[in-house]
This record gives sequence, C-alpha cells and structure tokens, in this order.
Amino acid sequence: MESKSGANEQVVEQANIAHSILKTPSTFSQYKALLAKDIRQEFRTREMLTSMGIYALLVLIIFGVAFSQMPSSYEIMPISGGLIWALIVFTSLLGLNRSFSHEKEEGSLQGILLVPLDRAVIFLSKATSNLLFLAIVELITIPLFYFFFLSSEIVADTLWLAVIPIIVGTVGIAGIGTLLATITMSTRGKDVLLAVLFIPLSYPLLFACVSATSAAIVGDSMMMSNYISSVALAAGYDVVMILVSWLLYDYVVSA
Amino acid sequence: MKKNNQNTIKTDTLAIEAKGLSKLFGVRRALDGLDLKLPQGAFLSIFGPNGAGKTTLLSILSTLARPTKGKAKVLGFDLNENSDDIRGQIGLISHRSMLYPDLTAEENLLFIARLYGLKDPKGRVDELLDAVELTLRRHDTVRTFSRGMTQRLSIARSLICDPKLIFLDEPYSGLDPHAVDILDGLIAQIRDGRSFVMVSHDLQKGFDLSTHVLMLAKGKEVLFSEKENLDFEAFAQQYRATVGMGVV
Repeated sequence: MESKSGANEQVVEQANIAHSILKTPSTFSQYKALLAKDIRQEFRTREMLTSMGIYALLVLIIFGVAFSQMPSSYEIMPISGGLIWALIVFTSLLGLNRSFSHEKEEGSLQGILLVPLDRAVIFLSKATSNLLFLAIVELITIPLFYFFFLSSEIVADTLWLAVIPIIVGTVGIAGIGTLLATITMSTRGKDVLLAVLFIPLSYPLLFACVSATSAAIVGDSMMMSNYISSVALAAGYDVVMILVSWLLYDYVVSA
Repeated sequence: MKKNNQNTIKTDTLAIEAKGLSKLFGVRRALDGLDLKLPQGAFLSIFGPNGAGKTTLLSILSTLARPTKGKAKVLGFDLNENSDDIRGQIGLISHRSMLYPDLTAEENLLFIARLYGLKDPKGRVDELLDAVELTLRRHDTVRTFSRGMTQRLSIARSLICDPKLIFLDEPYSGLDPHAVDILDGLIAQIRDGRSFVMVSHDLQKGFDLSTHVLMLAKGKEVLFSEKENLDFEAFAQQYRATVGMGVV
C-alpha cells in the first residue's frame, strides 16, 4: 500500500514538473493566433473570398440587366445607396455562412474550446477575419458599382462621405453576423436560418446605413441633415450589438 | 513536494470525482445521477451501447458540456468553477482529428501551442512531430495525410500542453491495423504519469488497456470496478446480458 502511494506521488510530481512548459498566455496573443490561423487558411483556400467575389459580380450583372430595361429618364442616384447595401448584405450572408465551415469539418472548434481561453476571444478573432474578408470584397465591388452605374451621373461632392456608413455598417455586419453564424452553424438549413435571423436583427443598422449612404451620394441638403444622426445610429448599434455578442458568446459557443 | 505554480495537482487528488452527475437533453436523460471516483494514473474504459451516455460523460468531464445536475472535480478542480484550470491539464483524442485540413502539420501544432501559450512552441512542436514520426511531412497540409497519419498528428495535438488526464473518444474508429499498432505504441509511450478515460465499442481492447472499467446503459452506471477484480469472459457475458448486444 505504502509503495503504491509512493509510486503515485512520483508519477504526479513528474506530471507537475512537465506542466512548467506552460505559461499564462495573454488574451491578445490568443487573439493573434486565432486571427492568423483564419487569414492563413483563407488565403490558402480562397474559399470565402472567391465565393463572395463571384456572387457580388453576379449581383452587379443582374442590377445591370434590370437597369437596361428602365427608361433613360430614370434617376439611379437616390436608390444607389439601397443597391450598394443589397449587394453588401447578400454577399456577406454568403461569406458568414462559410466562416465556420473549417471549424466544423474536423471538429476543430471543439479543439479550441478545450484550451483555457476567454470564449469572447474566439468571437473577436472570427469577427475581425470576417470584417477583413468583407472589406476586401467591398474594395473590389463598390468601385465596380460606381464604374457601371454612377460614372455617367453627376455625383455630389459629398460622395466620399459614403465611405463612413460603409465602414460602420460592415463592422456591424461582421459583429452580429459572426454571433448568428455561430448559432446557426450546427443547424439544418443554416443558410436560410442565418438570413432569417440576420435581416430583422440588423434592420436598424441597415436602415441607418442606407440613409447615410444615399445622402452622401445624392448630396441633397435635406437628406444630408439626417446623415450625422444615421451614422450615429449605426455606430451606436455596432457598439451595443458587439458588446452583447461579446457577453453572450460563451453561452452560444458552448451550447 | 515542490509546487511549481497554483495549478499544481496534489498527490492525493483523484483524477475524477463525480457525484450525482446528470445531463438532460430536453426530456431525454442522457446521464442519470452518475457517481465516479478515479485515482490518478488510472486508465478507465467506458463501455455501453449507443445512447448510453458515454460521449456525454466525456464531454462533461472535458468541460465541453455543462451538467444539468450534480458536481464533479477533475484533477481536483471543480468542473463549474475552475474549468480553465481543468482545460490547461487535459487532452482529448477523438475519432475527429480537430485539425485544420488546409494547414500543414507544423502550422496546426504551432497554432494550438500558441493558444496554450507554451514557453517554447517551436521546440515543443519539433519534439511532438518527432514523437509521432511526422517530421518529414511537417510542411505538408493535413488534407494530404492518410487516416493513420492524421490520427498520429491529432495525438500530438492533444499532447501539446502535456496533459495529466487524457480523454479518448473512440480513438480506434476507422483506423487500419497498422495505424492501430501505432496508436497502441503511442498510448504505451505516454501512459506514465497520466490518467486516461476512454470510450470504446471494442470490448477486448478497452478491457486490455484499462485499470478500471465502467459500463453504462441509459445514462446509468451498470458496473464500475477495478479490472483486477474482473474476469474478461464474465465481464463480456455481463455486458451482453445487460446491453443485449454482441461483443467484439
């Protein structure tokens, strides 16, 4: 009995000494590791970027076909803010649906959940990578939208102000979209479910961003008077929803 | 005994201590009031038919799921209050590799080493790749690996934090005989100083590896015993009688 307990003690002491290979990792270093993994993986497979990019181009083509049927007197400027956001929202839904496909394939998310780390770090890194990939696609498709539909129009001097609601809106889409993509990733029919949850939840953000983008493109003084309040509403939505997502993520990802 | 840090495990601590552990999925009772005491250094094999609660028990003990009722301590740490302390000292080897197929073997291990915050991630990765004989394939993506090679890398992944307690969830599932031999060898290599909990459908293999045996049915304990108190044939017969299915 005594020798058994001695052997046990030796075994446990060995294990404790071996444990000294660990140090306490900082939250930032864990965030960097998760983000670097997502970026490396995406630039190797180009899965999200290719699918989102092609989809956005197809939407632009459909817009083009639709506008070719319109009378020449038709004004495109007042509705171009809405069109840009339709392009961004549908493209991002496609990307968000794919954002957890690598984590699901071999149960890798389970492997991450076994590591002692704040679950919110997983949310933050995934939201950052989604934001980055969305921004890359927007950097290509929004100039294309301008080239195809607005280059022959006389746009307002305030056009550059459209960049602000686009940035604020994309941050919000990445934030709330990441939370919803986590909720729906294990469900059947996740593609539809994500859209069904995403559109109503992000409605205030989309409404504010469409208003601000349209105002910046048209430059009309009455519309511009709402610009600041629309951007403020969108920014407020971002802060609230990202904080809520941060707080809920542990529960959502462990469910 | 010298203590290295606050996470040091006391020598008299049990590897697992559970009391009244229950888990409900809706109205279905996946685990029903399970009590369990497992000493450190033990190898527990869990048997039972599909739906017996084996994987649910493993998920709860490895902090991946929360129990609906009951309490448990893993390596002396409370499951609900100190889950991060537990996570730093456990490993999970599953039939799913938990690897990223489009990353290389080295990138997969370095990623997880950085998440754990190892002092020398590169050195640890070199050491583990060598241990699982994958040094020459370190720059190849996991997608190009055979099932056996993937499983070896998955084992290296689970050992990255030098865990004191290793959970094995049907680790032999889908392996060819050669890969089974390699996995047997690796388990034998890492067995010293560690405790194991394995879920298996292979009665003979699970019995051979174990020091303790737990049989579950409908979320309840049917049998829990040290192996030395059991005879395999009698155990297999009881398994058949209880579970009502063929063995081996």
